[in-house]
Amino acid sequence: MTRSTIDPVTRIEGHLRIEMEVENGVVADAWVSGGCFRGMELVLEDRTPEDAAMIAQRICGVCPVSHAQSSSIAGEKALGITISNNARIIRNLLEGAQFLHSHILWFYNLAAPDYVNPINALKASAADAHDLAVAAGTSTNTDLKALQERLTKFANNGQLSIFSGNWFDSEGGEGYQLPPELDLVCTAHYLEALTMQAKASEIAGLLGGKMPHIMTVVPGGTMFVPTEEKLDDLWALVNELYDWVASTMVQDTVALVPFYKDALEWGGGCKRYVAWGVFEDASFEMNNRYLPAGVLKDGLVLEDVNEDLIKEYTGHSWYEPDDMELRNPRDEGITKPLYTEYDVNDRYSWCKSPSYDGQCMEAGGLSRLLVAYKRGVPFVVEQIDGLLDTLGVPGRIDVLQSTLGRTGARQIETLYVASLMKEWVAELIEALKGGDTEYFREPARDSGDGTGFWEAPRGALYHTEHVSGGRITGYQIIIPTTWNIAPRGHNGEPGPMEQSLIGVPVGDVEKPINALRTVHSFDPCTACAVHISEPSTGKHFETVTNPWGVK
Amino acid sequence: MDEKVLTSQFEDLLASRGVTRRGFLQLCGTIAAATGLAHVTVPDVAHALEESVIGAAEGNLFPVIWIEGASCTGCTEAFAQIDQPDPATVVLEMISCNYNETLSFAAGHSMEEAKAQTIKQCAGKYVLVYEGALLEGWDGWALRVAEETGVNAFLEAAESAFGVVALGSCAVNGGWMGSKKTPAGAIGCQALMAKHGIETPVTNIPGCPANPEWLVAVLVDVVMMGILPELNIDNKPSLIFEQAVHENCQRRGHFENGEFVYKFGSEEEKKGFCLYAMGCRGPQTKANCGIVRYNHRRSWCIEAGSPCIGCCEANPLDASHNWVDVNAPFHERHRDLRIGNWVVQPRTIGLAAVALTAIGVIIHGFGMKASGRLEDIRFEKQREWDAKHPDSAIGDYTADRIIIHADGTEEVVPADVFEKMQDAEYEQSMKKIGAAAASAVATGSATAQDAVETAEETARTSIDDAEAKTAEDVENAIEEEIDETKGGQE
Repeated sequence: MTRSTIDPVTRIEGHLRIEMEVENGVVADAWVSGGCFRGMELVLEDRTPEDAAMIAQRICGVCPVSHAQSSSIAGEKALGITISNNARIIRNLLEGAQFLHSHILWFYNLAAPDYVNPINALKASAADAHDLAVAAGTSTNTDLKALQERLTKFANNGQLSIFSGNWFDSEGGEGYQLPPELDLVCTAHYLEALTMQAKASEIAGLLGGKMPHIMTVVPGGTMFVPTEEKLDDLWALVNELYDWVASTMVQDTVALVPFYKDALEWGGGCKRYVAWGVFEDASFEMNNRYLPAGVLKDGLVLEDVNEDLIKEYTGHSWYEPDDMELRNPRDEGITKPLYTEYDVNDRYSWCKSPSYDGQCMEAGGLSRLLVAYKRGVPFVVEQIDGLLDTLGVPGRIDVLQSTLGRTGARQIETLYVASLMKEWVAELIEALKGGDTEYFREPARDSGDGTGFWEAPRGALYHTEHVSGGRITGYQIIIPTTWNIAPRGHNGEPGPMEQSLIGVPVGDVEKPINALRTVHSFDPCTACAVHISEPSTGKHFETVTNPWGVK
Repeated sequence: MDEKVLTSQFEDLLASRGVTRRGFLQLCGTIAAATGLAHVTVPDVAHALEESVIGAAEGNLFPVIWIEGASCTGCTEAFAQIDQPDPATVVLEMISCNYNETLSFAAGHSMEEAKAQTIKQCAGKYVLVYEGALLEGWDGWALRVAEETGVNAFLEAAESAFGVVALGSCAVNGGWMGSKKTPAGAIGCQALMAKHGIETPVTNIPGCPANPEWLVAVLVDVVMMGILPELNIDNKPSLIFEQAVHENCQRRGHFENGEFVYKFGSEEEKKGFCLYAMGCRGPQTKANCGIVRYNHRRSWCIEAGSPCIGCCEANPLDASHNWVDVNAPFHERHRDLRIGNWVVQPRTIGLAAVALTAIGVIIHGFGMKASGRLEDIRFEKQREWDAKHPDSAIGDYTADRIIIHADGTEEVVPADVFEKMQDAEYEQSMKKIGAAAASAVATGSATAQDAVETAEETARTSIDDAEAKTAEDVENAIEEEIDETKGGQE
């Protein structure tokens, strides 16, 4: 029995520690700890719903748009607003831009360094690498020879920069498996991705003023009013992005799989999923969203979302009280932060443990895709079936319930969102052509309760607020990574990421690369995940508007 | 899972693209399939790099440690959006970024080792970029990294640095976490270093997030010229944070013409008028946002239609003076507008410009035509900041005011009378909201909105009709109209 620890986990958002018990080269038990407490909900108290939409974004610089939207939806439910059609389209475009930004950055710049070794690319034949890229059907926009020369110059200088302390030599040099040619192609795409994720953010900047932390989404709609010169920029940027995504991302994923296919066999986790849905269609129904809402219980049994079944537990987190109760964050949250000490047998995380119907659940891109698949969203069904056919496992959706499955499936979502962006630009142009110029609606009242069910790129996002006389008297947030990095729950069951780590092979306790791959497959965002749900004053919500029942 | 099936199907895929199994294996060099990398002959260059010492002091790149404290990663994200130079060029050809939690290929103890070696071997020669707040809550355990408090990790790295760059408003003074509402105990870099007697020079770059162009500008000073930038009294780069957002605002012409947006969703909004009346903090927030812009210069807050929310407001030595507490509520005109050290009340602003020019004080050419419509601006009765910090109130509650009316006449109003007028006006704005709410319950939101809009419009029209000369006339006119509207609804 050996302990293996990764602290800090890098290439994520925020501070995360992984501690594992390794037995016979396999993780036997795992503890995941969120390392930072900031207290966002407390800062939102007594502010206006519009201010909340601005401030709450600051939870996360990777997914601020989602927080602004979720907070705005909560505000709109509370104040009795249904946003206009134009505002809906613009907000979809903003969210889509952030999804593309986040997914591209995550896959190439955060996750891929667990699979790709740019230093090994120095050994490649640039000509063969080009042929390989063509063979794999992926894009060849970069001059590979010039890239190799650039890397050589960097290497000759002798300073390691972002490669300082890399794990390329993990598992006795067996940790990284790509041939140099594929390493070179993927390094080229790593650099292209840096440019493309910035282009995606440029779309968010165009619509939101700046990214991260957009400025134009508020309860009531959007402050952004398109002009012709903005519209043509938008149209061109969206097309450019789609072309790159469609010619590169799924292809690269398929090319990587043969070299790491053992990662399709572990990392599954709890195999239950929540998705609150994202990208509103004209009906404003959660189940009709472009990526619809749903809960997948054991055996991937699909259910509709019921807000009453969401509860949180703090028995293993640094919060009071220390009883074993499960509490609904909306109705009876009474937790207060209280740091004790790091002890995996007692309290070991700033992250709380949320549950749905008494069980921990995974949130994220895989959850959304599986729900969309079960709800029969045509694009998703077609693409997932196609991928499974390509991998030689037709119909075996369970293959996706693994470290590499979770990592790979997200590229399908990226492609879906990129194609939707084109649709929405066309839809906006049609609406403008028809003379619709409404982007903002005033509140109908100054008091009420509301919940914003939405999705950040990393999964199900929940903001709920109580507003009285125009001011917030209570605010709650449950963030996707809170679901994923939850510590032990009320029933002692390890959290989703903890479960996914159990069974992962560890060939090198110093550099447990497979564990790192598994953690990165969730794309954790821990600054988001750690927060307090209720003020020390003990205030709590009386009632909350059913989010999909409000007209 | 059957691995063989997977492999053969992938080869079929390749075959369908015209590549034979043999061809693919040749391309892959059979390396992954047959051997480990250790058995491959390593060219000298790659070998040299593998042997490199982390934190090598010699080389063409300037060593940098980039630590994320209590951050949202937004400043790193913003950095990832730059072009010319793009982030890859910066980390491959400008700086040796030996520690960066978001970009580093390392993880866990290898990461901490990279930092420790850099601190040791490059002492006095590296820049520490710090992002996010420092948290003193629970003896620093509010932020726990690698079994250490975030505070200690920062102090250790700061002590031996050539310079510290506090990146973003959180690093400058705690940002939104500086609010006393949270027990996290946020503090900025400069204040914490002063507490611990560390004298490494600090450059403060506020913003939420900090515009990456500002960071690169500072890096150019340090890396290319070997100097620290010229700083103002707050240790912020003077050239970036000397002028107010307002001074370089593209909507400023509308401000000077008295053309304002009074409501989101209005005709004025579509015309791109000045957002001052919607609470824009441009006149009091110092930063050159309108010049550098964001996201490849694609746009910026005010161009996109949003009032500035003053995210660069940060007093490095006072966490309670953070941009959120100073500026919220963002979409209501502050009771008193601060331009530099000059405090004015919105309704007197037109005149004040004239008066100041007359006495020879020119505040960056600040001016605006007198406009009766300014009186429709929603505002705070008392600034939230002032209510909580009476000792350092920003608003002025004691000065006599001069009001200029639309017809050009002036009226001197003693402070106590002016305060009563403020109270009355505030009550009016509250009544409008109340009327909207009551009407919404009675008739449904769309109608309610119409009713209030009509009431306001009628009031405005009647004021114009009466050619109201005094502030009292204005108040009375609005009050009567609102009362009539409410009466009608009952």
